[in-house]
Amino acid sequence: MTTQIQITGVSKRYHTASGPVLAVDGVSLAVRPREFLTLLGPSGCGKSTVLAMLAGLVTPDGGEIRIEGVPVSGPDPRKVALVFQDPGLFPWRTALDNVGFGLELRGVDAARRREIARGLLEPLGLRGFEAKYPRELSGGMRQRVAIARALALDTPIVLMDEPFGALDEQTRLLMGDWLVDVRRQTPKTVVFVTHSLHEAIALSDRIAVMTSRPGRIKELLEVALPFPRDLNAPAAVDLRAKLWEAIREEALRAMDGPA
Amino acid sequence: MSRETARVLGARVAVLVGALLLWELIAAPLNPLLYVRPSALPPALANVLLARDVPALGEHVLVTVREIVVAFVLAVAVGLWLGFVLGLGRRLGRVYEPMLAAFYAIPSVIWYPSLMLFFGLGPASKIAFGFLLAFFPICLSVLSGIRQVNPHLVTVARSMGAGSWTVFRKVMLPSMLGTLVGGLRAALALSVVGVLVGEMLGARSGVGYLLNYTYGLLMTREYTALVVLVAAGVLALDGMAALVEARGRRWSG
Repeated sequence: MTTQIQITGVSKRYHTASGPVLAVDGVSLAVRPREFLTLLGPSGCGKSTVLAMLAGLVTPDGGEIRIEGVPVSGPDPRKVALVFQDPGLFPWRTALDNVGFGLELRGVDAARRREIARGLLEPLGLRGFEAKYPRELSGGMRQRVAIARALALDTPIVLMDEPFGALDEQTRLLMGDWLVDVRRQTPKTVVFVTHSLHEAIALSDRIAVMTSRPGRIKELLEVALPFPRDLNAPAAVDLRAKLWEAIREEALRAMDGPA
Repeated sequence: MSRETARVLGARVAVLVGALLLWELIAAPLNPLLYVRPSALPPALANVLLARDVPALGEHVLVTVREIVVAFVLAVAVGLWLGFVLGLGRRLGRVYEPMLAAFYAIPSVIWYPSLMLFFGLGPASKIAFGFLLAFFPICLSVLSGIRQVNPHLVTVARSMGAGSWTVFRKVMLPSMLGTLVGGLRAALALSVVGVLVGEMLGARSGVGYLLNYTYGLLMTREYTALVVLVAAGVLALDGMAALVEARGRRWSG
């Protein structure tokens, strides 16, 4: 079995006012090409830190991350695109020019950028909104523009840090369905961070449950359910119970605050 | 033009006309030398514009405009430069910014005698004073603009491979633009104030000198006419600056 992202014994310590905090402790994972892997855990379990290290935005204190065999030393927009919980659109740019931002940094000319951006916005239901500014778009639309901006880089790997976390529940469900569709058309490797059991079961090929601070991998589960997924099917309900059992203790610890 | 805009404009004209009428009525029984009536202004304006009993306006306006331009350009250059140096070097900014703000709070006109001692009675001291007044709002708007930059947008740009210079050009500058243009507009108005005050406190040419000249000879009608002209000029300048500012704000969102 091939490995696209190899995480080996990675740890990260943050310095806070009340001393150093070990956020991530000895995380090892092998992500396969074109799989959808979810890091599931309670708030503050270091799952976002793992993602930031994969993206080259944060340097690990220990261990090593290799993407396609090459150690990560900084952001590599040819291999990895990142979607954040806060869409982080540039307010002075239209939807179209936001999507074209990464291509602009690559030196792609304006006409080609617009063409690519249009091609991405249309299937996202944003046709007719190309010239709108972020403030004129709804929360769900903004997040779709942010996802289009990441997809515009056409990288083999997309990292998503709770991309639907700020949306209302209905929008979240629709965005999840939409993401399943997108993946069917363009299979990419996705590492997805969430604390939602529902999202994890609906979207993932594998789920890595993380412990509360310090973040470790507690359990790695294969999700062998066909798409589109029926979350009321017995297998899905079983999986949910299993995940909840694994995560409940961690959520309780997280709720009591850092030890 | 919508009906609402028309009504607002109409009300403004009415207020202006009303104020002129009131002024005319109040000044009518008073000493016309001290209380110049609006109706006395048109002939006085003609005197000023045709240089009857008053030095020719043109060269003085030219002197003043030149001083304003030089003072403003210098303030923009130094203010932007120092603002970015202090704002981007965090430690440096922490040391100097409170000092800068404190210095700004001191009424600058008290420095003017020093400036005359340093730079003489010519245009240099006026330029220095216009610069001094205009420099602060520019420098401080850069500092507050840098603070307004959303760090998340910087992270987004970095994740897509942007280096420091690209982040500066494509994230920081557009984020700050509204604040920056606001600071520049305030600075433009203040450089006008600085130069005019400088000319009124001691000069041999310029619009401020003319104001002083007419006032000193008790040519109060001509003095008032000059005031009206200066006001019109400054309003026109500020109107243009406001247009530029609105564009800047729209662009930066």
